[in-house]
Amino acid sequence: MEDYQEYIESGRLEQYVLGELSPAAQAEVEDWAARFPQVREELEALEAGLGVYAEAHALAPPPAMRERVLSAVFAQIGPPAAPATPVAEAPTMRVSASNPHVAAAPVAAPAAGRSSGWAIAASVALLLSLVGNALLYSRWQQASESLVALENDQARVASTTQVLNRELTDTRQQLHVLRSPDEYKLVALAGTPTHPQAHARVLYSKSEHRVYLDVQQLPPLPAGKQYQLWALDKGKPIDAGMLTAATASGDGLQQMKDIASAQTFAMTIEPTGGSVNPTLNTMTVVGNI
Amino acid sequence: MTEFYDRYSAALFGVIQRIVKDDSEAEDVLQEALVKIWNSIESYDTSKGRLFTWVVNISRNLAIDKIRSRQHRVSASVQSLDDSLTAQRQASPDSFRPEHIGLQEITKQLVPEQRQVIDLLYFGGFTQSEAAEELNLPLGTVKTRARTALKMLAKLVR
Repeated sequence: MEDYQEYIESGRLEQYVLGELSPAAQAEVEDWAARFPQVREELEALEAGLGVYAEAHALAPPPAMRERVLSAVFAQIGPPAAPATPVAEAPTMRVSASNPHVAAAPVAAPAAGRSSGWAIAASVALLLSLVGNALLYSRWQQASESLVALENDQARVASTTQVLNRELTDTRQQLHVLRSPDEYKLVALAGTPTHPQAHARVLYSKSEHRVYLDVQQLPPLPAGKQYQLWALDKGKPIDAGMLTAATASGDGLQQMKDIASAQTFAMTIEPTGGSVNPTLNTMTVVGNI
Repeated sequence: MTEFYDRYSAALFGVIQRIVKDDSEAEDVLQEALVKIWNSIESYDTSKGRLFTWVVNISRNLAIDKIRSRQHRVSASVQSLDDSLTAQRQASPDSFRPEHIGLQEITKQLVPEQRQVIDLLYFGGFTQSEAAEELNLPLGTVKTRARTALKMLAKLVR
């Protein structure tokens, strides 16, 4: 089985990303990925897909859990000691900040000699400085915690904005299509005798070749099937794209493939992914421009 | 570790919770996962994939071990999986959260059969052949659905 295409089809890669494989089989997949860039690409696409799926199911743990889990984790891995985390940097800072005083004390004591007054003064200064540092340290820690919280909030707002912007652009585009009767011609697609209830509309711009589809009602699909839109140009069928599940249920406009010229639009039921030629006896709606 | 928690806990907890279906068990698994990630971070190989994939896989495997150990799988039928997903979505706070939009968008992109397969494989810990048996489908169909669904998801982020 030296054909990489066959290997991609074998389902091994899915097992790999889902972690179903034995270490030996994993090594085999990695070996294929190293030899064939196509296999590697496919693998990366699958991994990215799972990542999206995982991220889409993100669920913020209850706030109280944070403290419990973190302290339990720290109890097992030892106190936060890695220099990379801000919490861990703190003790170092405190030591270095109090260094001048530590150094000052022994120097001051022998110089004073006859009196311990200097030493006492230095100790008091040291003590005060330690207390001050401890205070500063705890404030600093609080500040850095709220900074992390704020950064998280900000990231969330940013991604919300992004999603909203995308939806806004889509909506604006749909509005533009609906508000330009000169540019977009409305083609009503009526149900064929077998599906008299079915009803949809195509908005077609001849000058820009754009096609939008708006479903009013379509019969539910059997498993493994998908609606496909066709443009008929001088009797010849041209694939105008597949309807997403959302469009088929009448959720909104969907932009279909660009069509240079057409006199008729029609929709058929095809196996998921579409067909090269329409299966005529499954024609659900049809309409002339 | 604190930073790591703030950054990844929602994603990891989401995956774990949906596998073990119990908050307090999910907390145990999350904790176990964080310790494991911390202790084996040296073995993470950047050439083999993204850090996110790696940490999610560790968490997911621990969660699956957990349900296997208590032989939870027999009862985890397709129906209960679907039920619990809907229940969780309704139970979650109604404050505005982008990850929920993401979920909705994904639900729209995938046909129900594809979602069912991915849910079984990813959150049910089923192998492809077990999923085929559970759904009464040929193995080939399960493989095709899984691949098409994952590639569709990947396209969403490009």
